[in-house]
Amino acid sequence: MTPPAIEATGLGWTYAARPRAALEGLTFRLEPGRVLLVLGPSGSGKSTLARALAGLVPHTLAGSWQGSLRIGELEVATTPARFLGERVGLVFQDPDSQLVMSRVDDEVAFGLENRGWPRFEMAARVPEALAQAGLAGFGLRATNTLSGGERQRLAVADVLAARPSLLVFDEPTANLDPPGMYDTLEQIAALARRREHTIVLIEHRLEAALPLADDVLLLDDAGRQLAFAPAESVGRDAVALLERCGAWVPRAWQGAGPEVKAAAAGAGTSPTLGTGILARVAGVGVDYPADGSGAGPALDGVSLDARAGERIAIVGPNGAGKSTLLFVIAGLRRPDRGTVGLRSIPRDGDPAEELADPSRLRPGEVAERIGLVFQDPELGFVARTARDEVTATERATRARRHEIDAGPPGAEGTLARFGLGHLEDQDPFRLSQGEQRRLSLAALALRPPAVLLLDEPTFGLDRRGTESVMSLLDELKATGQAQLLATHDPRLLPRCDRVVALGGGRVVFDGPPESFLANPPYSPPQPWRDGTAIEEAAR
Amino acid sequence: MSLVSAPLEPIRPDFLTRVTPAARLMAGMTWLVASIVTLDPVVPIRLIVAALIALVLWSGLPLRRIPRRLAPLGIAILSLTAFSILLSGSNADRSLTALIAFGPVRITAPAVSAGLAIGLRVVVIGLTTLLVFGPSDPTRMADSLVQQWHVPDRFAYGTLAALRVAPFMAGDWAMVAAARRLRGVGSGGVAGRIRDAGDRLLVILVSAIRRAERLALAMDARGFDSGIRRSHFRELRVGWRDWLTIAVALAVAVASLALPR
Repeated sequence: MTPPAIEATGLGWTYAARPRAALEGLTFRLEPGRVLLVLGPSGSGKSTLARALAGLVPHTLAGSWQGSLRIGELEVATTPARFLGERVGLVFQDPDSQLVMSRVDDEVAFGLENRGWPRFEMAARVPEALAQAGLAGFGLRATNTLSGGERQRLAVADVLAARPSLLVFDEPTANLDPPGMYDTLEQIAALARRREHTIVLIEHRLEAALPLADDVLLLDDAGRQLAFAPAESVGRDAVALLERCGAWVPRAWQGAGPEVKAAAAGAGTSPTLGTGILARVAGVGVDYPADGSGAGPALDGVSLDARAGERIAIVGPNGAGKSTLLFVIAGLRRPDRGTVGLRSIPRDGDPAEELADPSRLRPGEVAERIGLVFQDPELGFVARTARDEVTATERATRARRHEIDAGPPGAEGTLARFGLGHLEDQDPFRLSQGEQRRLSLAALALRPPAVLLLDEPTFGLDRRGTESVMSLLDELKATGQAQLLATHDPRLLPRCDRVVALGGGRVVFDGPPESFLANPPYSPPQPWRDGTAIEEAAR
Repeated sequence: MSLVSAPLEPIRPDFLTRVTPAARLMAGMTWLVASIVTLDPVVPIRLIVAALIALVLWSGLPLRRIPRRLAPLGIAILSLTAFSILLSGSNADRSLTALIAFGPVRITAPAVSAGLAIGLRVVVIGLTTLLVFGPSDPTRMADSLVQQWHVPDRFAYGTLAALRVAPFMAGDWAMVAAARRLRGVGSGGVAGRIRDAGDRLLVILVSAIRRAERLALAMDARGFDSGIRRSHFRELRVGWRDWLTIAVALAVAVASLALPR
């Protein structure tokens, strides 16, 4: 009798110098050739489980191990990492931080070289693995010329090359734009259909992942096992459990759920704020993108007005010019053609001020008119504690105006409002991903800028994290702030007042989200488009 | 840095692209040594001429793009030369005639000669680096050092991985500057600017360390340095071209030092 592909018995792990366990008491058994979907909120130890399956826990990372985890007949804790490496291939979230080499064939060969494969076998295996991953003929390409989806395919080719029996995908689509995401999901689906590998998939896009799964493992926010069950048994009646796991429950299951209601409340311009234009982009053209990559103009004749209390989603595939547009509006990049103007929120009775060129404003004036929340919040932090982070702009403004005795800036109330009250003395760099994102918004709340630009504000967050960021944005919007969100996440669109889609640097759509969603320029493959796949899976 | 991390791709294979990178490195070393053992400006001039001939005839590099690639180095060369001339000790020697005398500034002929010698050496270093690293990609260099000189895998491929992520740091630096401007923080004055630069540096170092940790984990997951003897996808064979290159480079280095002026 063949042993199960994975057998966990009371598996637990605590990272060195962490107060609580990352995983606790996992007990399940997965038969060879099956697909296991792992669901859980941020901080539930999903990535730790992936690392344990690949032997990084406990062989590379320090901590304390409990219980047993077997891959086939090998016990992970006592098997040297090099033997586990031959069995298990791990694909990480971010394609950029897992590619080592600068050329595609070298990249695929890297793992084989590490395992001492003879050269003639590698010469045969590298093109084979590339073909299996749908990258036939890419061998001589430079890895930095590949798209996000192609890079993730390459990461899959890397692990396939060594012919592992177990493939582990740790949120493989989290860092990709929609075309890359569907591409990667299709690839995993194709691998799952072939049944040559046992697959562990960590993915919170339930509507895409559940149809692929044979079994489901649910974890709670403390890394404890809520359930291990066949995928067929996960259906409408499990919604409460799934929501506890931070999963995005398909709309078909939740009726007029909380998400839909919130959307209705958040949309629409508040009548009391009027319709003053806070940012005007007129005929803007930029010849090269900010990162110096790609050919052709980055932006071409883009015009756009953002009004008080309006939330605009900027969508489009990678390289369409979304980030360049945000940088131009923020005055961090001067357009080659056209103009950008900003003004502050008009106060009662004040005459509307002139639209000002952001690149000519003084630092204090910029902070009043415009704020930018980066995709990676860490790059935006300017202080050593959460409290100082929130008051940084206020303190700088007072110092500039020589107001010495203006009383405490009031960071505590702001931090509490953003659910960070207990973390005021923490170093911003030590916070979790979700906390960092909330702090980067809290830092703009004490003196809210008239226009807020957000680059992928929900990137890498689970449902709960996304909900909390969006409700904070609703509060800021209610004060008359105009918000522009560059996003890949279609779930945010119903919560916006307007969608502007870019393609090749031009505006290809500008209108209400309903008409955008009815006819999107890029669409998911058929089974995922209308939720039929998930209905079938539930049956 | 940019000479190594973003190499110019050879547009056609040529003599030097068929020489193993370790041999090119060895050949290059002879020129670097020759250029620093004497203060005579004639030596670097001879080496520059030799380097230009090698670049045009045997490197396979796109010649039209070379000047732009070397432009940042040009600034370093000009400022180094200017400062060496201005601050030379021989300017203070009253027994020497001044070429230029303007108030307290005196510039003497030996000062100009010494300054030029320093500037010209930097040109030699730049051109030699291009000849050593230009004709093949950094991966070949790492392969060559590991296979021929038995440099440890961890060092060679670790450095290679670090070079691949280095361009991200430049992007991070610009982002951090942008964030600080938009938040209205940052102080004026020299002291304030130095403090700001320190804060920015800390942020990008933290982010670089995070990136490095993720990459190291990904490399470990693929069995890097797990105790197995590493094999090589691309074998580099040492051949007559390697020995010829080293011999010619050495001959040029000796000749540039020994030939009468």
